Amino acid sequence: MSIRQLRKTHVGQVGVRTPLIDGVEKVTGRAKYTADLPATGALAGRILRSPHPHARIVSIDTSAAAALEGVVAVCTGDDCKVPFGVLPIAENEYPLAREKVRYRGDPVAAVAAVDEATAARALKLIRVEYEKLPAYFTAQKAMAPGATTIHAEKPNNVLREVHAEFGDSEAGFKAADLVREKTYSFAEVNHAHLEPNATLAEYDPERGHLTINTTTQVPYYVQLKVAQCLEIEEADIRVVKPFVGGGFGARTECLHFEIIAALLARKAGATVRLLQTREETFLAHRGRPDTTVTVKLGMTREGKLTACHLQATQAGGAYASYGIITILYTGALLHGIYEIPAIKHDGWRVYTNTPPCGAQRGHGTVDARAAFEALMNDMAAELGLDAFEVRRVNLLPSIPYTTAYAQRVMSYGLPECLDKVMKASRWAERRGKMPKGRGLGLACSHFVSGTTTPKHWTGEPHAAVNLRLDFDGGLTVLTGAADIGQGSNTMAAQMVAEVLGVNWKRIRVISADSALTPKDNGSYSSRVTFMVGNAAIDAANQLKTMLVEAAARKLDAKPEDIEVDGEIYRVVGQDPGLPFHEVVKAALVDTGPITVKGTFTSPTEFMGDKKVRGSAIGATMGFCYAAQVVECSIDEVTGKVTAHKVWAAVDVGRALNPLSVEGQIQGGIWMGMGQAMSEETRFDDGRMMHGNLLDYRVPTMIESPDIEVFIVESIDPNGPFGAKEASEGMLAGFLPAVMDAVHEAAGIRPDALPLTPERITEMLDIRDGVQ
Amino acid sequence: MNLLPDFRFHRPETLEAAVQIKAATPDARFVAGGTDLLVNLRRGLGEPSDLIDLTAVADLAAIRRDGDALWLGAGVTLADLARHPDVVAGYPAVAEAALAVAGPTHRAAATLGGNLCQDTRCVFYNQSDWWRDGNGWCLKYKGDKCHVVVKSDRCYATYHGDVAPTLMVLDAEAVVAGPDRVRRVKIADLYRESGAEHLTLAAGEMLAAVVLPPPGGRRAAYAKARVRDSVDFPLAGVAVSLKRDGDVIADLRIAITGTNSAPLLIDTADLIGRSWDDSAAGDLALALRRKANVLRTTITGAKYRRRVMQAMARQLVGTLWDKG
Repeated sequence: MSIRQLRKTHVGQVGVRTPLIDGVEKVTGRAKYTADLPATGALAGRILRSPHPHARIVSIDTSAAAALEGVVAVCTGDDCKVPFGVLPIAENEYPLAREKVRYRGDPVAAVAAVDEATAARALKLIRVEYEKLPAYFTAQKAMAPGATTIHAEKPNNVLREVHAEFGDSEAGFKAADLVREKTYSFAEVNHAHLEPNATLAEYDPERGHLTINTTTQVPYYVQLKVAQCLEIEEADIRVVKPFVGGGFGARTECLHFEIIAALLARKAGATVRLLQTREETFLAHRGRPDTTVTVKLGMTREGKLTACHLQATQAGGAYASYGIITILYTGALLHGIYEIPAIKHDGWRVYTNTPPCGAQRGHGTVDARAAFEALMNDMAAELGLDAFEVRRVNLLPSIPYTTAYAQRVMSYGLPECLDKVMKASRWAERRGKMPKGRGLGLACSHFVSGTTTPKHWTGEPHAAVNLRLDFDGGLTVLTGAADIGQGSNTMAAQMVAEVLGVNWKRIRVISADSALTPKDNGSYSSRVTFMVGNAAIDAANQLKTMLVEAAARKLDAKPEDIEVDGEIYRVVGQDPGLPFHEVVKAALVDTGPITVKGTFTSPTEFMGDKKVRGSAIGATMGFCYAAQVVECSIDEVTGKVTAHKVWAAVDVGRALNPLSVEGQIQGGIWMGMGQAMSEETRFDDGRMMHGNLLDYRVPTMIESPDIEVFIVESIDPNGPFGAKEASEGMLAGFLPAVMDAVHEAAGIRPDALPLTPERITEMLDIRDGVQ
Repeated sequence: MNLLPDFRFHRPETLEAAVQIKAATPDARFVAGGTDLLVNLRRGLGEPSDLIDLTAVADLAAIRRDGDALWLGAGVTLADLARHPDVVAGYPAVAEAALAVAGPTHRAAATLGGNLCQDTRCVFYNQSDWWRDGNGWCLKYKGDKCHVVVKSDRCYATYHGDVAPTLMVLDAEAVVAGPDRVRRVKIADLYRESGAEHLTLAAGEMLAAVVLPPPGGRRAAYAKARVRDSVDFPLAGVAVSLKRDGDVIADLRIAITGTNSAPLLIDTADLIGRSWDDSAAGDLALALRRKANVLRTTITGAKYRRRVMQAMARQLVGTLWDKG
């Protein structure tokens, strides 16, 4: 698009392709990430980690390290006796291990020294005596009777077991013409966010104040948890989120290195810069767990679902993290996409002696959805039905719709998504007639637009945004929302630009600095556009009212007679009116500079139903829906699967910024592709084998297919200008779509991901009866 | 943060000076693109007292005709190698192999010499200092135990260079400069099958150039198995050169990489003078099995790497045979 076209279309307003407001800083290298921040005189922090996957700490001797010249502070588990964790009901992680280590890499001690080399030398001087314990790396082994407990309070190593049934599944299966059950296994994956973890912690010993710059998606959770672990007031801590190089869920909770940096800074009475290596970033993990899914579906001859029973078992790693929510989500998101008369769900979240899993883009739903859709495709084929037809007969019958899990669906663009990708992929002409070695596959998926039941700050508005106007006529949006590259700063500015109709250049965004910006729960569960967007609209509306009133006073008219045309305020039908700076001047008379606060609170009817157990998890105001067709080929010599093209249609409610929405959709599909094709964590007797970007195989540019995006706008009645989630809902669909495409290409039905050449050749050998 | 160890840094401008520094400081390492060495040093794999940067040695960066042969300086980057007109026209398989290495940014810095002399790799070796310490180190570095072949007295780390096998099947020679003399050896003789000391260069020697003889009617190609088509090292790589005379194989050379501690030529004597058919393919498979020793040195299993090596070799010979 040329500059001239850009000018014509009022960049920044809703529906206009708008480059990210902070994009130029990033692509020119001007943007400062945590590790780039000036840290003159800062001490270098380093962490000593456990070499054992499960062991009792018998003793730690730090005396030699402490005595080394240049070492300023040494911390161990004795320096923090308060555990942390993102869920108030499952806080069982210490920043530095106490009594036990539970995965290879669990932090044991930390050092702050004058430089990196001294800190590294000091770590080698710390003597830790361990008593090894039996360790478990799979859910099955950890759950086996007689296994040693990883956490004393969970004797069977099961963090959470979930059992729920909606409707009568037994009757549903009886009513079916075809019932099939299949087990799928999904390897554990990591977010592979490009920026390694880092924290800069500055301690002011005089005032007892701590300033933390850190790589986070949730600065206010960091503030809460650091205060908790250091046993100081939240008000003593300022958390700033500089530019962040991706998160994808890895940073949706306060992590050990952030608390360790704070502990070191306080003990040293100084500034500590704690940079983590790629390997340590992989160790902090919080990825999607290794999951086994057994799914059973009942279908009529016409493809109508009669019942679903899904069982999921997750090897969740050594600490609770988000685990309880992850396992609940495998059930919660069985609802809301199709009409299914009966849904039964069983889940087991299991502790293992591996780095802790957490939330990852598509949290909880991806593996369950992939198994569900894959079996749906199998059964469609068995019944001689087209994959699109099977989806269509199962669509939600009417909107609004309330699921058995008490989720209310107010907008539903899935039917249109199906139509778009069917047509674009020329499915009707090509499917089933592809040349040998090539195939097409379809799947659908969905995701929540924010959780309406936060685990902290319950009862407060879901979001608050401040909007400042001063004598210079500049508008400053102050939001606690953490822009991690997803574009929340741009989105917040767009809401203000759209409501006020002002020049895009007039708006600045200051975000995620606890000393300046109103608290925000953070960037997770795709909540920010929906909630912060609505709060920004509220703030802008309030300011607009004030400006109109000021203009009315100045023009000696009634506010209702004032017409706003971009930056001109005039009495209806009269020229020339007041320019913006005159209106601002009028508004500031008497009051001085203005700051308004906009909020958003989710109505209680969207917060689940107390009568439906567990429905607080998965409660949301709207779902993003996606349908996608994937075209792939298989090279039977090397066993390589290549994705050539993806047609993806996504119901995002309304594309506030189509440029950004397209990017988010492509990124979501791309991440699904990584999980489907090549990404997996690998452990050898608890040793992490994948702790680098060579062995953890994130796809490269060459693997990236052309992704043709079709934006479907269902205009959600509650979303900001109709918008919903736009970056997670499409991820899961790639997995079952490519599995189906592989079936057409090679006649094999994968039941384990990723589809590495190794797995594919084994399947080809089985197909061909090769010993 | 991964700190480099402390070292003295040299930047000689002539080959002679480079070799002299090396001969005088046995612990020194040569560095050019640094895509292999610096990554390893940042992981604590080695603490050389001196680094000798070769990028100022102009002679090393030349590609020139040498009679009817082609002279490739060891300092030529892989990117330049892959696009040089004489390479593309006369030895397209060399360009193909160079382009198979890593990613574009690596190839812009990485050199031919560095690629040929790259360190062997192993999942128990290419890990951080902390990781290896916790695993009791290994036979290749700082330890006395091999985690791949337990009870072994030699290291089984694998050679994963992409370019060497193609040069081997084209019968190229390496020009090796030492303090006293310059010698020429077949590329295959640069290596020995020992993961911890896979290069045959003497302490004061350096690889200065590669000389490619005229192609002489051979067709050559390189195939590489990997999960990603960029960045990845070969899980197995096969280079083939074939000269077909009517219905018989007049000359056939095959070299493999990513399987053993050195790139290896396969014994193809039995196939010369025969037609390429199922029986010949069966004999080739046998010859490959005899030579290749794929072990669990990569995250991808050995079974797949053996299988794909066989499949690629068969396909590659078939393709070249069909081209005539």
